[in-house]
Amino acid sequence: MHQFMYVKPKDITEAVRILAENGEKVRVLAGGTDLIVRMVDKIWKPEVVIDIKGLTGLSGIREIDNYGVAIGAATPLNEIIGHPLIQQHFAVLAEGAHEIGSCQIRNRATLGGNLCNASPLADTAPALLVLDAVAVVQGEEERLIPMTEFFAGPGKTILARGELLKEIRIPYLPTESKGIYYKHARTKAVDLASVGVAVLALKPGEIRIALGAVAPTPVRAKKAEAFLSGKEITTGVIKEAVALVQEEVSPITDIRATEEYRREIIAVLVRRGLYEIQKFLRGE
Amino acid sequence: MAGNVIGKSVVRKDALEKVTGAAKYVGDLKFSPMLHAKILRSPYAHARIVSIDTSEAKKLPGVKAVVTGEDFHQYVGLYLVDRTLYAYEKVRYIGEAVAGVAATSPEIAEEAVKLIKVEYEPLPVVLDPEEAMKPDAPLIHEKLHEYKCVPFIFPVPHTNISNHFKIRKGNVEEGFKQSDYIFEDEYYVPHMQHCPIEPHGTIAHMDQKGKITVYNSCQSPNATRKLLSAALNYPVNKIRVIAPYVGGGFGGKAGATIETLVVPLAMKTPGYYVKLIYNREEEFRDTFVRQGMKAYVKTGVTREGKIMAQELKMIWDGGAYTEYGANITRAAGYTSGGPYEIAHMKTDSYCVYTNKPVGGPFRGFGMGELHWALEQQLDQIACKLGIDPVQIRMINACRDGSINACGEKLKDIGLTKCIEKAAEMIGWDKPKEQTPGKVRGRGIACMVKGPAMPPNAGSSAVLKINEDGSANLLITATEIGQGSMTALAQIAAEELGMSVDKIEVALPDTEYTPYEWQTVASRITYSAGNAVIRAARDAKRQLKELAAVGFGVTPEEMDVANDKVFLTANPEKYYTIAELSLGLVLPNGGGVGGPIIGRGSWVPEGLGGLDPETGQGTKAVAHWTFGCQAVEIDVDVETGKIDLVNVAAVYDIGRVINPCMAEGQTQGGIVQGQGVAFHEQMVFDENGKLKNPSFVDYKLINAVEMPRMSIHFVETPLEDGPYGARGFGEHVMVPTAPAIANALYDALGIRVKSLPMTAEKVLKAIKDKNSR
Ligand SMILES: Cc1cc2nc3c(=O)[nH]c(=O)nc-3n(C[C@H](O)[C@H](O)[C@H](O)COP(=O)(O)OP(=O)(O)OC[C@H]3O[C@@H](n4cnc5c(N)ncnc54)[C@H](O)[C@@H]3O)c2cc1C
Repeated sequence: MHQFMYVKPKDITEAVRILAENGEKVRVLAGGTDLIVRMVDKIWKPEVVIDIKGLTGLSGIREIDNYGVAIGAATPLNEIIGHPLIQQHFAVLAEGAHEIGSCQIRNRATLGGNLCNASPLADTAPALLVLDAVAVVQGEEERLIPMTEFFAGPGKTILARGELLKEIRIPYLPTESKGIYYKHARTKAVDLASVGVAVLALKPGEIRIALGAVAPTPVRAKKAEAFLSGKEITTGVIKEAVALVQEEVSPITDIRATEEYRREIIAVLVRRGLYEIQKFLRGE
Repeated sequence: MAGNVIGKSVVRKDALEKVTGAAKYVGDLKFSPMLHAKILRSPYAHARIVSIDTSEAKKLPGVKAVVTGEDFHQYVGLYLVDRTLYAYEKVRYIGEAVAGVAATSPEIAEEAVKLIKVEYEPLPVVLDPEEAMKPDAPLIHEKLHEYKCVPFIFPVPHTNISNHFKIRKGNVEEGFKQSDYIFEDEYYVPHMQHCPIEPHGTIAHMDQKGKITVYNSCQSPNATRKLLSAALNYPVNKIRVIAPYVGGGFGGKAGATIETLVVPLAMKTPGYYVKLIYNREEEFRDTFVRQGMKAYVKTGVTREGKIMAQELKMIWDGGAYTEYGANITRAAGYTSGGPYEIAHMKTDSYCVYTNKPVGGPFRGFGMGELHWALEQQLDQIACKLGIDPVQIRMINACRDGSINACGEKLKDIGLTKCIEKAAEMIGWDKPKEQTPGKVRGRGIACMVKGPAMPPNAGSSAVLKINEDGSANLLITATEIGQGSMTALAQIAAEELGMSVDKIEVALPDTEYTPYEWQTVASRITYSAGNAVIRAARDAKRQLKELAAVGFGVTPEEMDVANDKVFLTANPEKYYTIAELSLGLVLPNGGGVGGPIIGRGSWVPEGLGGLDPETGQGTKAVAHWTFGCQAVEIDVDVETGKIDLVNVAAVYDIGRVINPCMAEGQTQGGIVQGQGVAFHEQMVFDENGKLKNPSFVDYKLINAVEMPRMSIHFVETPLEDGPYGARGFGEHVMVPTAPAIANALYDALGIRVKSLPMTAEKVLKAIKDKNSR
């Protein structure tokens, strides 16, 4: 690996200052499971690496009264997966996070890293999209960005120079809900998604759908959602919803799967998700 | 009388060190003064090297040596001497080593590599072996006709065919005439990588006297030494190869690969230790790979399911150099009847140069590729004729007295027992369980393999008896994870009547440990095992002779057991092995005999050549090991994804030396076969560039995907095997993929004839069938 300066800032303010001062030359290090791999492969050669692990205000999970839960960007995935608040209210996020890599990877990998890495296939993204999560971005000022607007393209977020992802806020769901995350990959563990689908249902009849690995960013399937809203979920309705989802995605052919196969899998996973939702809404 | 450790699950000798992480591999070794090597690799699959300018690289501070094919273009190769140490005049695949740098740090070496300027003139690229076989195809090796090769490899001059192996047995046309049905089909296997957990690594050193020492992650210290010696025209005794623990080989660390790059750098920098550890990309592309293969099979059968004739054409995608790979195509050729007796055979096995990474040995040595074709072909026949797949295998299976492809009359064959047992274990006749949402299928496949090696591949062992009654076993077999250390210690203990804990097994060092051809071909327990028996018997003879002097009897009246040498007639009268270790001490204090060293050498006897035109002869290989696997799979018909649920594996391994290790070896083989079946393939773009040189997109099987495995061993003793043991380390991965393919047909009536059976391919096959 090339030579670089490693900085451990004392707090968020210092981290943000160093980020602002160094612009393109600096990279944030959280778990390092994306960053270090790319540095070893010489895809990225930052001159400064700033380590945000364990910084106060960036790690851990806390409840926000009358709102929901906040997850520090540098919280390791395994901590999120096992956390009672997440298990109880946002199990779909735990499912998504649990799909990432292996247990060892999840001990290091953070939620913020998964999101800031901005891979279209990031396994935590579809869950956060259907949960209407909000990203708290810290620069000189703090800004709140809905997750639906956080991703700007493959490997790109809306984070500007000098900005850090501080935490993710997830509002409590107003009614009884059920969320599901399905990932299709070649192997059952330690593989990247060829398609990821999150479906969330809120009683009495709201349904949200988000997908990963099928467009330049993780996407919400808004047309399908609007179509499904308030409808009784029947086989015919599911079929139409699947067709609408297909209009909202733009999968590509790569070494993992062809576009055609991705579309097949999108249909299968959305359909399977909606049948699960049907059971839930019918109280089965 | 002897010990009783054969057939016992003795704990692995290397278990503690490996489990705790204390075991040292080449990458862990550090010396002073040390240099780090980096290799400049070709960006072209086929090009003429117009010029190489290393002047800027040499000027960089910290750079101690730069070498290219200008300095080191000697030829090297095990069976066909077709490879130069560094690329010379031409490059033949993307990744080929063009220059090497040794510098004081890896970073400087890398920087220097970038400063080397190479001018190339691109040449037409040939990636498809069938194209490469055509008369007007661009030649990859213009000097093929000048290359040296062993007498059993047959290059076709002025073509890209580096070996053409033939079988002409009986009269294949006559056989087809006698057949009621004829089946024809094609099967394909892509390139694969061994993926050892430890990549190749070498540290080379030349001292002031010119002695070269190589610390090497390798399977074959003696073969590496010989290859280096032959290439460099350097005395064998001036090269020393030391192999510490090796983190997996699977064939990829046989022969010589990385060593031929590092040793030249060490020769330019006497006194320094030059270290090169491959990164994963190099490991994928720049060592050996498993060759791709396309098989065209035509089979004639009677309506009862008896195979009458088989015509087989195998076209091997040999890659840029086939120095080792050429012999794989021969092995698949002389095994081309598979585990069945076929009266009339015609086989043509072609090893073909292409502008792809270098094909070479891979667990199975051609058998995985061959059986992928034969076992599906037979299954198709069974299904079309309405014969049970188990039954058709019983009908055709080799038995005692069968004549194989080369005309050898077989004996002591337990294949039918394996088939029956595997079928019973998988519940062949029982109704299938069902998993909701999935379709269950059952399939079966058999296999055979012999140790492919030159007829005179030998083994030797030295056993030193120590003062405390312990022993050091010196061998040059490498412990690549297969458990050779433990199995060979068991054999020595058994013969010596010594407890196995008292036997320390050396790691190879060609300076001190005796000759071993290679740790390949599933031959170590068999071949080195026989040498160890001889060494132990030699030591035992000496012990008995000394004890006999002490007791004033003849050696024949003595026996050895429980660490003692005793009078057979009166076991109370004995010497301990310790007491005799340095010789017998007489009552007057004088000595007799001296320190005890047992030596044993072994080579399989009775092997001969095959006729170059017909492939007929008496004995192509030392012995055959047969086996069978039956599997159950679940298919998700909406996604095409297959789960391997149950596997029953039965092999006739002659004699189980260590049940726990034998079972572990089989489990590993099944899972590697599962990877072959579902995921493994090297993908090349249209320029010959490898697209997936990492585990991101070259997938192996995860622990969570492993099936339930039931394993059983038939024990039909092999006449010249140690305690009857046969080799089987490679065999256990061979039938997994075809058994799964056959199960897929059973489940859904579809066939995927090209590996791997990815979910996408399976789904496409399902859709194609539904639309028909
Ligand atoms: C073997 C393996 C398997 C994997 N499998 C999967 C998988 O199945 N699914 C999947 O989605 N991913 C997978 N990954 C990718 C990776 O593990 C995840 O994306 C992980 O969540 C990244 O988190 P991290 O903390 O390690 O990020 P890092 O590597 O530390 O950072 C990733 C990127 O985000 C930036 N960054 C990190 N935190 C912040 C922040 N708070 N503010 C601003 N920028 C920040 C970094 O600068 C860097 O650019 C895998 C990786 C490996 C090595």
